[in-house]
Amino acid sequence: MLKLIGGFIAGLAFIGIMAYNFASSLMFWEIPSPFGMEETVARIQQNIQNTGNGWTLAGLRNPAKAVEADGGNALPVMMVEACSTRYSGPILKDDTVRFLSILMPCKISVYKKQDGKTYIAGMNAGLMGKMFGPMVGEVMGHVAEDQAKFVIFDASKPAPPMIKGVPGAAGGAAAGGGGGC
Amino acid sequence: MLSKIKIALSTLVAGATVAALTAFATPAPAPAPAQMPANAAAPAQAAMPAATPVPAIKASNSTADHSKFKELQKTFKSAPEVTKACLTCHTEAAKQIQKTKHWTFEFINPETKQKLGKKHVINNFCTAVESNQKFCNACHIGYGWENDKFDFTAEQNVDCVVCHESTGTYRKVPGLSGHPTYKDMEFPPHSGKIVKAPDLSKVAQSVGKTSRANCGSCHFYGGGGDAVKHGDIDSSLTNPPRYLDVHMEKKGLNFSCGTCHMTSAHQVPGSRYAPTAADTKDAAPHMRGKADNSNPSTCQSCHGTKPHPAKMAKLNEHTDKIACQTCHIPEYARGQATKMTWDWSTAGKLTPEGKPITKKDSAGRNAYDSKKGDFTWEDHVIPEYVWFNGKVNYTLRETKLDPSKVVKINSFEGSASDGKSLIWPIKVFRGQQPYDSVSNTLLVPHTFGDDDTSFWSNFNWDKSLEAGMKAANAPYSGKYGFVKTEMSWPITHMVAPKADALTCAQCHSHNGRLKNVTGIYMPGRGDNNKWLDMGGWTIALLTLIGVLLHGAGRIYANRKG
Repeated sequence: MLKLIGGFIAGLAFIGIMAYNFASSLMFWEIPSPFGMEETVARIQQNIQNTGNGWTLAGLRNPAKAVEADGGNALPVMMVEACSTRYSGPILKDDTVRFLSILMPCKISVYKKQDGKTYIAGMNAGLMGKMFGPMVGEVMGHVAEDQAKFVIFDASKPAPPMIKGVPGAAGGAAAGGGGGC
Repeated sequence: MLSKIKIALSTLVAGATVAALTAFATPAPAPAPAQMPANAAAPAQAAMPAATPVPAIKASNSTADHSKFKELQKTFKSAPEVTKACLTCHTEAAKQIQKTKHWTFEFINPETKQKLGKKHVINNFCTAVESNQKFCNACHIGYGWENDKFDFTAEQNVDCVVCHESTGTYRKVPGLSGHPTYKDMEFPPHSGKIVKAPDLSKVAQSVGKTSRANCGSCHFYGGGGDAVKHGDIDSSLTNPPRYLDVHMEKKGLNFSCGTCHMTSAHQVPGSRYAPTAADTKDAAPHMRGKADNSNPSTCQSCHGTKPHPAKMAKLNEHTDKIACQTCHIPEYARGQATKMTWDWSTAGKLTPEGKPITKKDSAGRNAYDSKKGDFTWEDHVIPEYVWFNGKVNYTLRETKLDPSKVVKINSFEGSASDGKSLIWPIKVFRGQQPYDSVSNTLLVPHTFGDDDTSFWSNFNWDKSLEAGMKAANAPYSGKYGFVKTEMSWPITHMVAPKADALTCAQCHSHNGRLKNVTGIYMPGRGDNNKWLDMGGWTIALLTLIGVLLHGAGRIYANRKG
């Protein structure tokens, strides 16, 4: 019996190690961008606007600016925020999963790393959604499909201007309240 | 046997749980296909815009209030008249200025004997002053240098106020040969922006110690616009917050440029033509009048060669190989983006109607201008790192080049073994510019002017290059091409707070900051001596085994009594 328990504990430890090593890469994705910071942001914004499905830009934040304001330095980070009421609506109407509003609006992060290159990161909405029941799983699955489209770039097209304000958003970028979310 | 099976089953159950969890994982989006960034570039920079009108750092202990001087309480019709008034008291000032690089635009490198200075060097920004003096000499510390007939001995031609006025209204507009405008004028032309003529009387009465805005009125705008050239010097240093520059932060140390570039007889120390790469003199701060010929603008002149506290002694062991700037300026252009590339070969594109074109990049910065070609910009740039011993070799107008290779406008010399070099952070500015494809030498384009030969008037390289080389009294075959060039700039301003200095792992790691620095063994970099690394780890492992065996032996011996 002792050996059985020991084996189970070893198995749990194995799970723990696996989860520790792979959880972050499962929950989030990161890819290099072929463009610089602003152009990457601008192209993502353009893709969001062209994706349809109710997607609108909800904000653009730069958390590194807060570090600078506090007297320190951080490499640039820009978070493109987008929202689709088509996807947020069902979740916000269900009391059992309303706490998932904490994940809204959908964010794509664009940042520079120590190698000088620009990277794009986002949350793996598909995997996250499956943890919260069939309705959320289905909704977040659609979100994941659209997210994938946000980061497909056509370099043959000219660089669009970065949208610094929030188009048509009530609450503004800082409030993160635009785009219907 | 059964027990073993049970253990195996338990493990399998646990493993299966993991597998089930991971099965739900939706693959991350496929990485975007590798694509070349579209060429960024920028419309014409308004060369040498006015410095932000920021009050000068007043010398509270000054013994003179220039507004009370009768010589300055009159109406001046021209700036040279102001100079004459200044010289009535400051009798030696013009003579001193006329011995400086700021006046002669000339510097003979004592080591290489190369004749440098803005008068001679061709760079890969606006290229050359020759034939474009009326425009470029907005940043000459004088009045009236528009051609080779300029009188370098005339004292009234010295511009005192550009370095000493504090109204923020005095502006030397490009195209006026170093003069300020004497009547309101639109600049840049057709921009709708009006440059006001300064009240020269107020300007003259406002003089005092040179402020950051004074130096910045030229140095922030080098290369044809704000933040274009240096990467570590731009208008964000006029009033920088702490994160940007710990020395210049207004609420902190509030250094002016002159605090480090401590001037004597108008000679400003700190040359990019012959920089002090390794200051090994562990000296106390410089003082005026002190018998000391070393450079007061180095970090070491204040901080010494062992600047870190004893508990961080390991860092002090780095100072004989690493320039202070390498760790303490982790990125440059942290206040605003700097220009990184400039491709003159694409200049001259026009609309079907023959009008010049300008384009902006995603950030709204100039990305293309028919007058100048394509540009790219970047902020928070990770520097490149090189060994540098202070010796700089230039590719000059007469230097033969190999057009099949990238031409280094300037080469920073240095190595790990010469005993004089430190690892320095640099900005490398890359571009393409015209060269004589027969003689294989760099060319001087005539860019500015109302005449038919200036490139900005007619967008004709043949006429522009012929006129430029004629003005430079240099031969030109009449055939040109565009050659790739690089120019290096040491990064030495924008010192970050100490908490933001590079950490050990940022260099001592695979693909770390110093991955391209040759000639040294760096623990952790893992690319230069795997046997040494392996030997070190073997010794560490054997030590660990020895400790464990020894401990086990002690425990065993203890139990045995």
